[in-house]
Amino acid sequence: MGNIKQITRAMEMVATTKLRRFQDRAVASRPYAQEIAQLLERLTAAMGDELRDRPLFRPGAGQAIALLVVGSDRGLCGAYNSQLFAKLERWLKEHQGQEVRFFVFGKRAYQYLQKRGLPIERYFADPPLEKVDYRLAKFTARALVEVFGSGNYREVQVLYTAFESMAKYVPTVVPFLPVAGSAAEERAQHDSSDVILEPSVEALLEKLLPRYLETRIYNALLEAITSEYASRRMAMKNATDAATDMQALLKGVYNRKRQEGITKDLLDIVGGAEALRGK
Amino acid sequence: MAGALTLRVITPDKIVLDVQTSSVKIPGVDGLIGILPRHAHMVAAVDVGPLTYVEGGAEKGLFVSEGFAEVRNNTLRVVCEAGELPAEIDEKRAKEAEKRARERMGRPKSGGEPVDVLRAEAALRRALMRQHVLGLYARERVRS
Repeated sequence: MGNIKQITRAMEMVATTKLRRFQDRAVASRPYAQEIAQLLERLTAAMGDELRDRPLFRPGAGQAIALLVVGSDRGLCGAYNSQLFAKLERWLKEHQGQEVRFFVFGKRAYQYLQKRGLPIERYFADPPLEKVDYRLAKFTARALVEVFGSGNYREVQVLYTAFESMAKYVPTVVPFLPVAGSAAEERAQHDSSDVILEPSVEALLEKLLPRYLETRIYNALLEAITSEYASRRMAMKNATDAATDMQALLKGVYNRKRQEGITKDLLDIVGGAEALRGK
Repeated sequence: MAGALTLRVITPDKIVLDVQTSSVKIPGVDGLIGILPRHAHMVAAVDVGPLTYVEGGAEKGLFVSEGFAEVRNNTLRVVCEAGELPAEIDEKRAKEAEKRARERMGRPKSGGEPVDVLRAEAALRRALMRQHVLGLYARERVRS
């Protein structure tokens, strides 16, 4: 029993350090993502209605919805995956009758979808989510944009676990493509007609859009893996605590048994001695 | 100081720089763009290259790669994929990247697949620019 406790405690510690690392990165990546999002918002505001005719800003030509599911590769992380799948089931119910095709991160999610018999279009197995970096996000975003442009899809959405705090991580579905331009009220708010654009709106937008999509994926991936580790840490902590309780209980039982054995032995000895003396 | 400008360099990994400066030159896609305090609201695309700024009378610089710059309310935010101060540049890696890129461009075909010349060229440019920035501000490195 002590062994199990040591193992879960070690795993808890590993999860804690990894969690810290991913959390730091998730936090550090936020300013960049925010800046990019704000820039895009201002730029789209400057473009106005023209936007609606651009390929990434209007729904795709097809009917199907592509859903990117970000799950974990490994188990032992508490309710992380089951909560994700519960959210998925709810989402599926809301989108009943519509064609949905899946893109997957994480072995657990892959296995789940396969068992459910849902159509998996692509499984991103390598590099694993554990090694997430900006390049992986770039690659993924590009793949999704290609999918969106293929003409088979109407929209792309992402299901991942948003990391809110150490104890709160919420499975969330967010729209990814088409890109939502800035709302009309906001358009009125910043009057962008007097902004100098260098070299031109077109050139800027062409560069900014991919970055925007990449940072959104990057952020989703980082938050997902941060949540996974937060959840794993909690699970391991609970296991360690349970092991401590059980150890105390078992120790009581063990001591009682041991005492019983000693008493029995004593009785035997005393009995034997009595018998000898009686001879 | 007579109207300072806040310069902030932001990458996906961290905020590289956040300083008060009196003038900045950024590598725009169509050439250098100089920015002084009280510049008009502007959004510009940033190319790979050295970004120079004046802090406390001394000219300093860092390497930036593709991104965007926005000046607004006396704050210049450079949002780019990579931003490295001279002390952070890995010279060995940059040299290796240069060699790799040159080799790739020298070969017409690698294993039947056409070489992505644009990508190799971009990699080469980044490698050269990193070394260029190092050369420009090597003194700073020795000092720190």
